[in-house]
Amino acid sequence: MAPGMDGKPVAVKTRIYTHPYVLAGLVPLVFFLVFYFYPLAGIFLRSFVPDFPAHLHIDLSFLDQVAGSQRLHHIIRFTFWQAAVSTGLTLAFAFPCAFVMSHYQFKGKKFLTLSASIPFVLPAVVVAAALDASFGRNGWLGVLNIRHPLVLIFIAHVFYNFSVMLRILTSFWAGLRANVQEAAAMLGAGPFQTFIHITLPLLMPAVWAASFLVFIFCFSSFGIILILGGPAYSTIEAEIYRQAAHMFNLPVASFLSLIQIGFTLVLMGLYTAFSRKAVRFAPKGSHTNFKQPEKFWEKAAVTGNAGFIILLCLFPLAALAGKSLVHEGQLSLIYYRAIFDNPASSIFHVPPFTAIKFSFIFAGTALAIALVTGLCAALCLNHLDRTKAKGLAAFFDPLFMLPLSTSAVTLGFGIIITLDRPPLNLRTSALLVPLVHALVGFPFVLRAVLPALKNIPNNIRETAATLGASPGKIFRCIDLPLISGALTAGAVFAFTISMGEFGATIFTASPRTPTIPIAIYRFLGQPGAMNYGQAMAISTLLMAVTAAGFIIIEKISLRGIQQF
Amino acid sequence: MENELIIHNVSKTSATGSYVLNNINLALPRGSRLSVLGPSGCGKTTLLRMIAGLDTPNSGDILFNGVSILGLPPHKRNFGMMFQDYALFPHLDVFANIAFGLKMKGMPRQKQAPIVAEMLALTNLEGFEKRKVDELSGGERQRVALARTLAPNPRLLMLDEPLSALDRVLRKHLLDQLTQIFSRLHITTIFVTHDHEEAFAAGSQIILMNQGKIVQQGSPDNLIHHPVNDWVKSFMA
Repeated sequence: MAPGMDGKPVAVKTRIYTHPYVLAGLVPLVFFLVFYFYPLAGIFLRSFVPDFPAHLHIDLSFLDQVAGSQRLHHIIRFTFWQAAVSTGLTLAFAFPCAFVMSHYQFKGKKFLTLSASIPFVLPAVVVAAALDASFGRNGWLGVLNIRHPLVLIFIAHVFYNFSVMLRILTSFWAGLRANVQEAAAMLGAGPFQTFIHITLPLLMPAVWAASFLVFIFCFSSFGIILILGGPAYSTIEAEIYRQAAHMFNLPVASFLSLIQIGFTLVLMGLYTAFSRKAVRFAPKGSHTNFKQPEKFWEKAAVTGNAGFIILLCLFPLAALAGKSLVHEGQLSLIYYRAIFDNPASSIFHVPPFTAIKFSFIFAGTALAIALVTGLCAALCLNHLDRTKAKGLAAFFDPLFMLPLSTSAVTLGFGIIITLDRPPLNLRTSALLVPLVHALVGFPFVLRAVLPALKNIPNNIRETAATLGASPGKIFRCIDLPLISGALTAGAVFAFTISMGEFGATIFTASPRTPTIPIAIYRFLGQPGAMNYGQAMAISTLLMAVTAAGFIIIEKISLRGIQQF
Repeated sequence: MENELIIHNVSKTSATGSYVLNNINLALPRGSRLSVLGPSGCGKTTLLRMIAGLDTPNSGDILFNGVSILGLPPHKRNFGMMFQDYALFPHLDVFANIAFGLKMKGMPRQKQAPIVAEMLALTNLEGFEKRKVDELSGGERQRVALARTLAPNPRLLMLDEPLSALDRVLRKHLLDQLTQIFSRLHITTIFVTHDHEEAFAAGSQIILMNQGKIVQQGSPDNLIHHPVNDWVKSFMA
């Protein structure tokens, strides 16, 4: 082994686990144990051992309740089939659009790509409000009389997930090497045969992967179901909330959470398997040549694609903003002004301005927590990956991604039933909401920062060391500047996710500290033009904040690609 | 001998207006072996893609057996083309890759099997039928690609830099194998490369291209001993 800078020999092997970066990994680990695994264990215990820790008596009586409940059976069935239909519809719309976006270059394509991406980053409450502004009783298209809850749920899910499906399919389709299809043509396959025998089979793993992902999103859809579905159309997620918050039936809520966790894990496994297969078929270093639309049908397809994306993705958002600006048929800022008042007639305890204030405070705190824990996790995983402890890195990496595949409702529910008593009582703490939001935002920070760290070649750090930089200096002068873009992207992610988070917040936020999504939910549930208008106004504000956050992230990641 | 493939005044301009191919004329007798030699970007791959029908010229004509083929889509030309990176179908095994062209002709599977076996024997790949394409070595992929190209019995065989993805030692070995296979088949062959040793081994006639034009045409001897200008001389060095 080479001697250290100070001349003393350095025993590299034994120092792996006491390296500062590895020790930094303890921060996210403790964070996870307390705020992720402990609450999930709490759900498990609450299901099977209701009197824990007083009595260690396993009580399965709630199983009879579940088994005998027609309503619960119906809910589980409905959760599956609404997710399946939503996924099928999303695929049916996204597939032809993905063909156009992956094959043709045309004016306004960048704008269209961006427009198609925005719905996915919007909070569920904003999507629900936007659909209300489009198809609701007072909506712009209210005359169409599309008000069946089921139809609205399907439209909302397609609106929401269209962009994920389109992104995955487009990138794979554009990446399919043109010469594989040309090789088929040279062997006598016509365009249709090439599509059936070559393109479709190569695309199928990506189609399955994207479909499973969308299925998971629709399966654990909460805000949309709760707001648009009403009591008649309840999914497992919505039912967990109703059982826990309205009926205080904790054993049933816990059991439903377990079912939810189980199904989500299986679905995530299927998603991972198919994306691996999709990656195997993906080209290495593709050079995509986009065509200009020339023939009539090509021009028609490009125009139709643009029209559809604008109608699906931009119309509801414009409808939302429009509704917030129109009062009794006239342009008016009355709803925005009302945000800052607290009129006596309002059934709301606190003015919406308070919700805005709390949202920003919570999002700022969540950002700080997620950034620190995420950075610690990234430094630790990167270090382990570069040393002999690769296996450890491979174990902790997917573990840290778990909050992504856990529904927010389950997480929020677990936290309020476990962190409400000693040893850790956070029930009334203002930190509870930011902590939950940080947990949801954490995987995004990690996914943004870790690749940037891995991209830094080790010899840059070694060069700095030979030039006399201490490990601390190397971090400050080499690593930090090189990952600053990724850190910013992660921070914006954590912030916008916290701003829009609904499922966990509805459990954890106290009535005196509502956030914007909670305020929108309450306003939408109240009658009267003033409540409706204010719901539209704060939804528009939230839409602007999250869309701005998304555009910032897109700009940063584009710059990042150019850098490396 | 009658000319099978005739390229007549073919030109192609890029989107920026510069010539990719500048007035190319070429006549190939049946069964001849031509090497197209030139530095990268000289237009040799574009020329090949035009003969294949994957690209269209701005002007000029391409005739096969006296008939213009410009209006014929690539899948109806029955030409064989081996791509630079082989373009094997990653979701199919070796058998299905080689049999693909036969299947497209509507040939039943019982009839495909003996032809695939013959191709595997020709390329020394016996026993590889069930292998997955991504488990093959570079040299094996190259031979599967050749077998796949030859299986439908094409009227014309085109190879685009077939050895460039391989390392030096393997390249020499597989070049020998390729030329042996060519000499057994009586098929018109166009071999595109930037390496003059490969070009001389694979073709009895050479065209040397630069900047979209044919600079010199002739036998290997002719190019080495009678270069038409200094550029040819330095390229041959």
